Amino acid sequence: MKHPYGKILIPFIAMVVASTAWAAGAHDGGHHDKKMEKPMVGQPGKAKNVDRTVAITMMDNYFEPESVSVKPGETIRFTVKNEGALVHEFNIATAAMHEAHQEEMQMMVEHGVIKGDRIDEQAMKMDMGDGHTMSHDHANSVLLEPGQSGEIIWKFSKPAELEFACNVPGHYQAGMYGDIEFK
Amino acid sequence: MMKQWIVALAGGMLSLAASAGEYNLTVDRVQIDTGDFVKEGIGYNGASPGPVLRLKEGEDVTINVTNNLDEMTSIHWHGLILPYQQDGVPGISYAGIKPGETFTYQFPIVQAGTYWFHSHSGFQEPNGAYGAIVIEPKGREPFRYDRDYVVQLTDKHPHSGDRIMRNLKMSADYYNRQQQTVGDFFAEADEKGFVATLEDRLMWGDMRMMKADIEDVQGFTALINGKGPEQNWTGLFEPGERIRLRFINSSAMTYFDIRIPGLEMTVVQADGNNVQPVNVDEFRIGVAETYDVIVRIKDEKAYTIFAESMGRSGFGRATLAPKPGMTAAVPEMREAPLLTMADMAGHMDHGGMDHGGMDHGGADQSDMGKAIMDHGSMNHGDMAGMDHSAMSMSGGDASDPFYAAGSGLMPKAANGGKFLSYADLKAQNPLYEHREATREIEMRLTGNMERYEWSINGVKYEDADPVVLQYGERVRFKFVNETMMTHPMHLHGMWSILDVGEGKWNPVKHVISVSPATTVYMETEVDAPGQWAFHCHLSYHAASGMFRKIVVEGGPDSEVAERTQKGQQGGES
Repeated sequence: MKHPYGKILIPFIAMVVASTAWAAGAHDGGHHDKKMEKPMVGQPGKAKNVDRTVAITMMDNYFEPESVSVKPGETIRFTVKNEGALVHEFNIATAAMHEAHQEEMQMMVEHGVIKGDRIDEQAMKMDMGDGHTMSHDHANSVLLEPGQSGEIIWKFSKPAELEFACNVPGHYQAGMYGDIEFK
Repeated sequence: MMKQWIVALAGGMLSLAASAGEYNLTVDRVQIDTGDFVKEGIGYNGASPGPVLRLKEGEDVTINVTNNLDEMTSIHWHGLILPYQQDGVPGISYAGIKPGETFTYQFPIVQAGTYWFHSHSGFQEPNGAYGAIVIEPKGREPFRYDRDYVVQLTDKHPHSGDRIMRNLKMSADYYNRQQQTVGDFFAEADEKGFVATLEDRLMWGDMRMMKADIEDVQGFTALINGKGPEQNWTGLFEPGERIRLRFINSSAMTYFDIRIPGLEMTVVQADGNNVQPVNVDEFRIGVAETYDVIVRIKDEKAYTIFAESMGRSGFGRATLAPKPGMTAAVPEMREAPLLTMADMAGHMDHGGMDHGGMDHGGADQSDMGKAIMDHGSMNHGDMAGMDHSAMSMSGGDASDPFYAAGSGLMPKAANGGKFLSYADLKAQNPLYEHREATREIEMRLTGNMERYEWSINGVKYEDADPVVLQYGERVRFKFVNETMMTHPMHLHGMWSILDVGEGKWNPVKHVISVSPATTVYMETEVDAPGQWAFHCHLSYHAASGMFRKIVVEGGPDSEVAERTQKGQQGGES
């Protein structure tokens, strides 16, 4: 399948912990919580430190596999392929962070950035009024059109309640999430 | 209830690729206790609603239906794709099932999802003859949930279906309890002025309609899985679980607005076909539609499933609870909506109106009340030649394009949040390649409320020729609702692809609800030879003429379509 945008990997905005936007009032919404701080979720990893690779397939609307085991301190390269017919996200965070992020994804749909089976790059560059656009560069997520592949390298830290999830509106609620189990 | 099912797997071998299931259903006289009244009715395997029929995609089913009544019966498998002889409509599919006889249905299950079954004879369905069908897909469900429940609604009336039909024929407003009274008149006159109020009343009177004519059969008790609001059907869950609720509206006449205060619902399926998930606070379910939603309950408390009828003449209530007996608050019903001039716009004979006095271009349909209309010349039966395009109901302040702008029926979520619209429904996996329709067929939904006659293109079923379709074509149906009632249109045997403007993502349904004064399009891939029913699924509308036989000519089995089976009564609802 050929896509007009070619092979793009769109690291995503949002509720990523390190983001300054996270602390901003607009995103606060009662979700801000000490537990969500970076050390718990982990951090972007370096390619040279990758311990192993985990392949994730996106389907409509679920992931295969639906759980991944990790060890504290492990760095994992997630290779993600969207084999569904709709746009999907792969995002590592806590359930509460995903929930907060879903509001932003809803906004992206309302603004025409995500259109079912494609991503509108132009709309993504739109100024959201607070100096941010919808295309932030964050390492804990990828947003993929059907047929696209992407990857993220993530270094896990202490055991925490983490999930990988697709926060495109409705997808998480319908069951497009997986558990990250610390061994 | 499931114990009454005899399930025989072919040769007892579970590992066989194509499984075959045999099921037995009896059609029985039963007692129906709504909590408000006890009424004799009709059920399956000794109860109403009948059992939940759990099937598997790919299975070949044999269903033995034994008629224990002293009258003819039939079962229609609503929404299932099957050979037309198995569709269960007396006079179209077959002759029906005589008293004391057993009819054996045999057909392959070629789909998955939530459906239902009901009698298609007389008023047996409103009298209780309905049950649910749940079909497990061949592959995995594209969702995750920990448990699922059927939530089947109906509008049980203390009068039998025959009696209701007689009363409606005698006086169409027989069951309209929300008629405006003399007291209302003076209250409104105080507010709007005497002349304006009088004019308003005269206008509605001339149309033989009441502003409150949203539900023509009031006085029912809404049941959920056979339980009245006080009897409170309860589904149990463990906190943290995701629960799939399979809503089925098996009502004779009633649309419901459904919400679960405190919970967001994610709609994942409509009429048995998966849709791209939509998070909503509330949704409206038309008669004969199904919607599957997933909810997640994190806390250990009870939640009320609250289903208000669209005209607010009754409500269904059930509970999701972590422990038996736990309940949650039951909301008050909201105020009954009133139809507006926008809802009657499709009802008027444009030829007899003073167009100069009406601003067709403007979105403000409420101003239409000031127009001077020649009511005397309104001719409901002969409305051909109306320029529907001049009455564009889209745009304006409409928040849902599937309602006339300014419609009194425009839904609003009780919590101010998201109310599902047809416009939100997009197919998850389109069933058909998208292509241009080969032709368009206009179906004007017409009626004479005063005589309680309902029709299509002004012609009642008994006077109408069948609609002939050719196997292999893709027909675009244009529904123009020229009445002030909402009609859930149901095509048997083939899918109804609702045009929501999304091309290949248009959702695939089996019931298309058409609001007053709106035009709605659906397309059908004509891929099922034989003869089929097509009708409004409001029981008393179908029975009084809003019904057609569809004949599909050609196809792999072309001679069967020619052999017209004569039943004693064509197309019973």
